[in-house]
Amino acid sequence: MNVFVVAAIAMLAGVIPCGVLACRGTLMDAVVAYETLSAIVVMVLVLLAEGFKRPGEFELPVLLAVLMFGSGLVFVRFLERWL
Amino acid sequence: MIRSVLTDIFLALAVLLVLASCVGLLVMRDVYQRLHYVTPVALIAPLLLGLAVLAQSGWSESSSLTWLALLFMIVAGPFLTHATIRAARIRETGDWRPGHGREDGQSRDAGRAGGRS
Repeated sequence: MNVFVVAAIAMLAGVIPCGVLACRGTLMDAVVAYETLSAIVVMVLVLLAEGFKRPGEFELPVLLAVLMFGSGLVFVRFLERWL
Repeated sequence: MIRSVLTDIFLALAVLLVLASCVGLLVMRDVYQRLHYVTPVALIAPLLLGLAVLAQSGWSESSSLTWLALLFMIVAGPFLTHATIRAARIRETGDWRPGHGREDGQSRDAGRAGGRS
């Protein structure tokens, strides 16, 4: 276990406050928690790919970073207009 | 030696920043205050992470893909934050422009905290 894997595990602790906020807050709070969570997960995937020395797995965070933007915009658009 | 020290420093800073921002996210009062804590996670922590990977493995396939992923995050973060603030404002007042919506503070989220279905 190298420093990148340790950092990934430590960073995953940040998921807990986001989960609490997503469960207990308003809908907009949950969206904010989701956006933060997505950013954390992208970084964790980068850390794990680097920590385990698997260059092929760097494509996952690239895809997730692109999808994070699209899905976030879809969420806020729906919340703005219809929900 | 110096590379590993730099990697450790950058990673420690990124982790601390993420954890502190998550705590800030939890303790703030409303969505506008909470959105301030998304920016360090979506902008500064990825930069520190990219620097850590760069210090560890130099310019390689790993670091280039890392920077590509982080570039998407860094570019998308402000747009997403702006769209979220706009949506929150519209949900709260009916219009994002000052003076056009209702200013009575009757949000569509009123009374829904913790009771969403």
